[in-house]
Amino acid sequence: MRDKFLMAYRSIRERRARSILTVLGIAVGIAAIVSLMSVGYGMEEAITGELTKMADMISVMPGEISGHGYVEKGSFTDRDVNDLQRIGGIKDVSAMTYDAAEVEYRNERTPIFVLGGDTKELGSFYVEPVGLKEGRWLRENDYKGCVIGDRVANDFFDEVIHVNDKLVINGEKFIVVGIFEKASTLYAADVDPHIFLTLRTSKEVLQTDEVKYIMVRVYNIADAEEIAEEIEEAINDNHGLDDFTNAMTMGSALELIGTVFNIIRGVLVSIAAIALVVASIGIMNTMLMSVMERTHEIGVMKAIGAKSRDVLTLFLLESSLVSFVGGVTGCSLGVVVAKVMSLGAGTAIGIEMTAVVKPMVLFGGMTVAMVVGVLSGFYPARKASKMSPVEAVRYE
Amino acid sequence: MIRTENLTKVYRMGEVEVQALRDVNLEIQDGEFIAIAGPSGSGKSTLLNMMGCLDKPTSGAIFIDDIDTGMLSENKLAEIRREKIGFIFQQFNLIHTLNALENVALPMFFAGVGRETRLKRAEELLAKVGLEDRVDHKPSELSGGEQQRMAIARALSNDPEIIIGDEPTGNVDTEAGNVIMDILEGLNREGRTIIVVTHDAEIAARAGRTKRMRDGKVLD
Repeated sequence: MRDKFLMAYRSIRERRARSILTVLGIAVGIAAIVSLMSVGYGMEEAITGELTKMADMISVMPGEISGHGYVEKGSFTDRDVNDLQRIGGIKDVSAMTYDAAEVEYRNERTPIFVLGGDTKELGSFYVEPVGLKEGRWLRENDYKGCVIGDRVANDFFDEVIHVNDKLVINGEKFIVVGIFEKASTLYAADVDPHIFLTLRTSKEVLQTDEVKYIMVRVYNIADAEEIAEEIEEAINDNHGLDDFTNAMTMGSALELIGTVFNIIRGVLVSIAAIALVVASIGIMNTMLMSVMERTHEIGVMKAIGAKSRDVLTLFLLESSLVSFVGGVTGCSLGVVVAKVMSLGAGTAIGIEMTAVVKPMVLFGGMTVAMVVGVLSGFYPARKASKMSPVEAVRYE
Repeated sequence: MIRTENLTKVYRMGEVEVQALRDVNLEIQDGEFIAIAGPSGSGKSTLLNMMGCLDKPTSGAIFIDDIDTGMLSENKLAEIRREKIGFIFQQFNLIHTLNALENVALPMFFAGVGRETRLKRAEELLAKVGLEDRVDHKPSELSGGEQQRMAIARALSNDPEIIIGDEPTGNVDTEAGNVIMDILEGLNREGRTIIVVTHDAEIAARAGRTKRMRDGKVLD
């Protein structure tokens, strides 16, 4: 067998340029599969990874999320918040207010959404994942302090806001104590355009007791779905409506994302499959050419005693060697491309993303390369083995 | 022993039928050196291909050691070619990607002989035809006469009883042709049957027996 490998290797090396092209053909196909799959997995992991950190969280909103977006139906009452605290399995409940306020900075005015809540809860929800660029996070006794998002600091006013600058929110003076980093896509809508206050000051500034958003933490992630239902029931009862509130667990968000990614992966794999079909036509062409070109040689081999099976084996070995090398090159190339692609894509859309190379994908890539190689080598190899020695020897 | 009985071969080229062999009856004894002479198109090469198990008859039969080769499968024929017959072609028909040693070892490779034994025997065979210092050379680096000697070494690879040469001196100069005939005579003295097709009278004269062919028939 080792000798047959050597023979096959010889004839591959003899036709170096064409062999390299064939290897490249397969490699590109396999690289496409490996890189697209790995980038897909990387994307999924980047997003679900961030969400999983918050898996014990249930967000409760006074409204409904439908296909058309979010429709607010009112606001929560203190009674709602108190009722939630009575549901079993809940670690803590954090109520937040949320409304637009008029904000003035160096004689320029613009409406900005203000978000107020328990500083510890808000901190773990936003500061941990996003991080602060300047200053510090709010403390419970920060009656005149605020923390602002990246767009508030840089985009909303002509002049850039820094820590210790003064803002006037609905006529009250505040000092900026901290500024958020620019948030990744997942948090951008929550953090970047907002001003954060303590719950107490925000209620004063917005002149409201209304709660627009409740964050609930559960002890056991497995119970989250059940607790979410209880929450909805309790609050809907209070307001006498069937669909006043919506309590969303991160688990259900993860499930949704999983489905989306299955579709994305399906599309990516079909693109890669097309690349592979092209590659296998390439291999078949090379092998057919090689058979035609070596008709005479095949005749000679048969004349000196090679059986059809020997010829078949030699040609199949050749095509599988070519596809093996193509597969290995393709996998390595695919990994490199995946890393570069996810780095580029991650930077472009602002998510920290690394390609996830699963051993299964590499194994699958190699298998596909070998199967394609052997299958597309089979027809030419068979053709070669069936040649009549007399005619083949005469062929020049 | 090789024996043919009313051996007939018809080639069909589109509408036209070509009678390459007509009722050929011939017996070649073990250890004979026979030359088959005749003009081109007389059917010598067709007859040689039949005797070399490269082709099957249209009708009639050809026996090699009392085996009717017309009845054998492709695989069996390949086995006979490998074990019993050594071929020498006018065009040498060496594999140009392999060096002398590998070319000579090739029939042993197909016979499943181990690498060590194969290369050792190939070296001995090359020495036997006077190419011991050409072991690493590719066919294209050798002269016509040397290439034909390499082909003879290859034909001897599996120690066959029968050597078949189709115009073995047809592509080399007279001097090299004489060397080749010397080698063939030597092989005949070892007890091998030598069958050579030629249209060179001088070469034919060196054989023990000469048969002439014309229009697909062997003349008496």
